[in-house]
Amino acid sequence: MSLSVKGLSYAYGAKKALDDVSFDVASGTFCALLGPNGAGKTTLFSILTRLFIAQSGTIEIAGQDLSNKPLSALKQIGVVFQQPTLDLDLTVYRNLKYFAALQGLSGTYAENKIMESLEKMSMMERAGETVRKLNGGHRRRAEIARSLIHDPKVLLFDEPTVGLDAASRSAITKHAHALAEEGYTVLWATHLTDEMSPKDQLVILHQGAILANDKAKNITGDSSLTQTFLELTGAEA
Amino acid sequence: MKPYFIALQAIVTREALRFIQQRGRFIAALVRPLVWLFVFAAGFRAALGLSITPPYQTYIQYETYIVPGLCGMIMLFNGMQSSLSLVYDREMGSMRLLLTAPLPRWWLLFCRLLGSTIISIAQVYTFLLIADLYGLRWPTLGYLTVLPALILTGLMLGALGLALSSFIKQLENFAGVMNFVIFPMFFLSSALYPLWKMAESSELLHDICAVNPFTHGVELIRFALHQQINLQSTLWVLLATLCFGALAIWGYDPARGMKRPRG
Amino acid sequence: MPLLSNITKTTALALCLALPFSHAQAEEIWISNEKDDTISVIDVATLEVVRTIETGERPRGITFSHDHKVLYICASDSDAVQVMDPETGKILHDLPSGEDPEQFVLHPDNRHLYIANEDDAITTVVDVETRKVVAQIDVGIEPEGMAVSPDGKYAITTSETTNMTHWIDTETQELVANTLVDSRPRHAEFAAGGSELWVSAEIGGTLSVFDVESKAEKAKIEFEVQGVHPDRVQPVGFEFTGDEKTAFVALGPSNHVAVVNAETFEVEEYILVGRRVWHMAFNTDKSLLFTTNGVSGDVTVIDVAERAAVKTIKVGRFPWGAALRP
Repeated sequence: MSLSVKGLSYAYGAKKALDDVSFDVASGTFCALLGPNGAGKTTLFSILTRLFIAQSGTIEIAGQDLSNKPLSALKQIGVVFQQPTLDLDLTVYRNLKYFAALQGLSGTYAENKIMESLEKMSMMERAGETVRKLNGGHRRRAEIARSLIHDPKVLLFDEPTVGLDAASRSAITKHAHALAEEGYTVLWATHLTDEMSPKDQLVILHQGAILANDKAKNITGDSSLTQTFLELTGAEA
Repeated sequence: MKPYFIALQAIVTREALRFIQQRGRFIAALVRPLVWLFVFAAGFRAALGLSITPPYQTYIQYETYIVPGLCGMIMLFNGMQSSLSLVYDREMGSMRLLLTAPLPRWWLLFCRLLGSTIISIAQVYTFLLIADLYGLRWPTLGYLTVLPALILTGLMLGALGLALSSFIKQLENFAGVMNFVIFPMFFLSSALYPLWKMAESSELLHDICAVNPFTHGVELIRFALHQQINLQSTLWVLLATLCFGALAIWGYDPARGMKRPRG
Repeated sequence: MPLLSNITKTTALALCLALPFSHAQAEEIWISNEKDDTISVIDVATLEVVRTIETGERPRGITFSHDHKVLYICASDSDAVQVMDPETGKILHDLPSGEDPEQFVLHPDNRHLYIANEDDAITTVVDVETRKVVAQIDVGIEPEGMAVSPDGKYAITTSETTNMTHWIDTETQELVANTLVDSRPRHAEFAAGGSELWVSAEIGGTLSVFDVESKAEKAKIEFEVQGVHPDRVQPVGFEFTGDEKTAFVALGPSNHVAVVNAETFEVEEYILVGRRVWHMAFNTDKSLLFTTNGVSGDVTVIDVAERAAVKTIKVGRFPWGAALRP
């Protein structure tokens, strides 16, 4: 199991943000984490990246326990945060170089890895441009490329398509699916129902608890995903 | 150990690059102490040539007196500025990127701290160079012996900034930091007036200044410029650095959480 | 480049420190303390007071004989010029001096002492060997500044209240000329190989330069210390560097010493020293200058090449005169 979350709970004071959350994602799987705003997605991502430590529950990343062996576990994660984290005044290459160094990579090895990742995201020709000159879609792709540099097993994407136009959104979603096919474990948080295919794994999070966890087509059956989602969360659309 | 140093180098380089790009910040950092030196101190020129206190061996002009204090001021502002950028980084998310690196947090924070200290030191030396051109000089060796004092003071003030940044929830609160941290720290110290002069006006004022860690940072720099070690100040600054550092590490402890996310 | 010159200085200092014992005897600067009735002896190598010696009442002007075997002291309130053995610090005998001797100068013949008697408006000439008064010359009111030309031809007395410089022919012991200077002249020195006479005027705030040949004033130097009221800029004692190209002028309660270019008569720098700086003396190679600071009761040491104060040494109360004992 490449990503395994068991009995995770987290509260901000009295308010519970996550309540006994458990799910597994196998290697080579694209798992969409669907939930309305405030469902607890960002809290979950913060705990998965060890910005917070959960009050209870365990997390295993590629077999490494996040609380016992945090550094080995973190090495297996590639992250794209919801907020952009690129340095706007630096070139794409420099941004990636900085990240590689944070992962302890340097020299030609790092350079090769950076080029490989950019290639994968069709961003090679943008390497020398400052981030400020890139459009939103390219910035996101640069960040995804960055998350691949250190050969992680698990990719965590926290609403990476927010604010992008439809074309960029579908391009990036396609890239992410391709990565899953390559063997990465992809956890993709979103509140948009059109970013997944029927054969993807789907975890629906609502008010800090899991409502459903199965293949998307098994959850939706014959109705549309949007319809199912609204029914499950009881949201006033 | 290698990944530690690769990360250190990268973080310091990034800080330096960012600083060079913000030319306005560099100029502002220099203009502030220079205004104090050329306008404020020049007005008080002869006012202080009355008493000889260590490390001075003879009477000095007021301008000579306040230079170490202004070096401290540069580092104080820089320490706070870097904490401001930490808060900003956190809002922007690049702090998350830093903290998810597979290295211990204390090391990552230390790298950040060292980066901002190095930038402070570059500013201080630029300031000292301008002071030298203006005719305010120290023994040549003093420019070298002041370096460890600058490193220590820079780390202390940076650690203070780091600690503050872990408790400030939002960027808007930073103005409060200016009012409640920078100004009292600067004015209630030996940067502008020697402690004996403070004692003349009020014992209480003197006592406050004497426990202010910034006073000791300034005295450390003052003595080091004259190739002397002020032992008491060294101990004070070390102690304060450890306290602020511990506070910062505690403040950034993942078990404490960072702030309530909006998502 | 100032940093570079600092490096040279540091190197020079290191060399000096490497050879501290090459001198047979330590150089000393002797300082008279007007209010303590003592002399403080400063070791030039360590810049510390190594001895304090009792003197008569209110010692002011002090000078060594040219062979440095004895020290002459104007003990103003004892109405005597005392002769001291510098080795033992014992007073050997007194010289007749007239009343209230304030300052004096020893003629190049090492024998005749010209003494200003402040209260009597007289300059007394004493033969130090016979210990007899050779002559008494009437001068202006409150004589103080004393000088003698390098060739020994002229002795100079300045009178504080008459505001005059009196020229005495040392052959005849008679006044040959009187020249007017600014208010309250304090100190006089010959310069430029004896072709110039410089006189400081305390209240006037100026330094007048006379041509010895014509006895005409050829320049007047004025001072202005930034941040100090002009009334407090009062030139008193001054000394010339070895090459006579630079003069250091004590500016009294302005607490500064002026550095004057003796060729252009321009003030090049002001150095902060102690309060009410009065007189001064060089060490042997004239690399260090020692100024007496009356009110703050200390002596400031100036690095002559750097033109910077390097140290201030506490001495007795109201230090006044300074003299080098090589």
